[in-house]
Amino acid sequence: MSKDTQLKAGERAFNGLLLLFSLGILYEAYQIAGLASINSPGAFPIMLGLIMTGSMLAILWGQRHHPKPDTRGALDEARQFTRQHFPLPIVVFSAMAIGYLVLLQLVGFLIATVLFLFVSQVYLRRGRWLASALITLGATAIIYALFKLLFQVYLP
Amino acid sequence: MADSISYFLMAWLDPSLLMLTAIGTLAGIYVGAIPGLSVTMATSILISFTFAWDVNDALALIVGIYTGGVYGGSRTAILLNIPGAPSSVATSFDGYPLAQQGEAGQAIGLSTVMSVIGGLLGTLVLASVAPYLSDMALQFAPRDYFLIAVLGLLLVGSLAAESLSRGIFAASLGAVIGLVGLDPVTADPRFTMGSMQLMGGIHYVVVMIGMFGVAEAFFQLHQLNVKPVRQNVDKIIPSLHLVLKFLPLSIRTSLIGVIVGALPGTGGDIASLFAYDHAKRSVKNPSKPFGQGAYEGLVAPETANNAAVGGAYVPMLTLGMPGDAVTAIIIGALVIHGLNPGPMLMIQTPHIFWFTVGNLALANIFLLIFGLTGIKVFAKVVELPKAILIPLILVLCVVGSYSLNSSMTEVYWMLGFGLLGYFMKIFRFQMGPVILGVILGPLMDETYRQAMSSVGDDSGAFLLALVTNPLSLILSMAVVLLLLSNTPLKAMLARRKTR
Repeated sequence: MSKDTQLKAGERAFNGLLLLFSLGILYEAYQIAGLASINSPGAFPIMLGLIMTGSMLAILWGQRHHPKPDTRGALDEARQFTRQHFPLPIVVFSAMAIGYLVLLQLVGFLIATVLFLFVSQVYLRRGRWLASALITLGATAIIYALFKLLFQVYLP
Repeated sequence: MADSISYFLMAWLDPSLLMLTAIGTLAGIYVGAIPGLSVTMATSILISFTFAWDVNDALALIVGIYTGGVYGGSRTAILLNIPGAPSSVATSFDGYPLAQQGEAGQAIGLSTVMSVIGGLLGTLVLASVAPYLSDMALQFAPRDYFLIAVLGLLLVGSLAAESLSRGIFAASLGAVIGLVGLDPVTADPRFTMGSMQLMGGIHYVVVMIGMFGVAEAFFQLHQLNVKPVRQNVDKIIPSLHLVLKFLPLSIRTSLIGVIVGALPGTGGDIASLFAYDHAKRSVKNPSKPFGQGAYEGLVAPETANNAAVGGAYVPMLTLGMPGDAVTAIIIGALVIHGLNPGPMLMIQTPHIFWFTVGNLALANIFLLIFGLTGIKVFAKVVELPKAILIPLILVLCVVGSYSLNSSMTEVYWMLGFGLLGYFMKIFRFQMGPVILGVILGPLMDETYRQAMSSVGDDSGAFLLALVTNPLSLILSMAVVLLLLSNTPLKAMLARRKTR
């Protein structure tokens, strides 16, 4: 990576979280069997924890001179991160995806899939109700026939 | 010999296997071509449905998808300047300029024929090298397997990721995910956080579907409104003169593809870039300048990425080491079907090896047929709006992960890994090393402990064995050199040399 690569908004925070996660892995690995033996069930996991921690430290060290994102303070950086990586379509689609999983358990595969496909297409295509409805019905029928009838897979 | 031939011809003569290979290849071409879908994504979703199938049926479909998918990416690279797969990035360098000059048909036709040549040469190398390598692999000690796995992860980490540190982190993260559950030797819980559900481990397919399917689908939402430029496609079948003209180059780049593909952890994406670089260096008078529509710039990556498919099967079938992310998934499928990828596969189940070789050759024949026909339909399908495609991908991901254990827990895990993958993609961490880590992690743990047990848990004796055994020494040196080549030491030496 070039030394001048500008850091993305939220990149240092994310890498910091990964470093904490790596330390957590190292702690969990130590909890398996301590340092009892070089051949214990925890020996290889400890190695992995050390490697992950070392790699993250190397990444953070390597980025110390990289230009910071053009933001004013942590709050502005958080705002820019949200704007860049969680624009409205992603937030709305994520909410629809979670709603789909909830619906799957409540009303079953067919109804939940038809609703999810139709609503998400209408939203992402900004209208086109009829085309979305036809595609939804066709796609659901194909998925159901293919997986339930041909592959004999259990559907949610 | 007669047995090998009959196993080789199995997929050619059995109507259902023939049909599955054909369907797989055709589906693979579309999967590889449609931006937003990938072969790894399709294979990881598909594999969850094929656990209950006969192993030959499952392998026939997967081989078809893999072969078709690696080729399919080139079509959108040429027509839309959007590589459908990472292995087609180099194809777009000269393929798209050719399309802009009105030669899209010729470019697609030539890339099809060259892909088939590369694919068949890769299969030939697999058939001729793998049996010998498999015999040799029987002599490998556990520490050698451990070193090969380390080498594979370092290779994919240094070549596929932006920096070695990122690659190593991603691979180690994958290995940790692969180790979650009860220790297979002592039944000690590892990384289970006291949860009963985690005692059984995290299914690797859930990780793959999440990271390649969900994360990619969410990432594609950023490009909802990107409209590709359409190209006119006319005459597609290339002239014999054109094919013969590029045959020597295609043989050279096929060999590059096989060798790079056979290195554990690397794959068609790296092979195609190496081959493109080779073509640029070795062809003195290209048909047009490179980057402006040189046929040589199209031939080299296309032969190499398809040859790498055969290459990737070499370490998978002989050592049980994945050649790339797709073969990592196939290893998991073979294990679930009760097979044992590695040197014993050739002894215990030789029919699987020869069946795979025959199947790869057959898939390449189908590739030629499907690659040179149906281009008008194809052009329409690849323009499927992402607003339709993305919700469909999510539904397939849900179905695929649910079907593993008929449980919503897997679906939530898949979504969690999708979110992690999305963040990792944003901050330039590659998914390939994570997946290889998931597969290789448990193998490394097992071989490391076997190696330690064999020297009585004496770390000094372990280190001594690394330098006294010729194979271990070569592998250790390769690991050390690879590590050193990614440190500032290499740049310092280069600076001293230029002074």
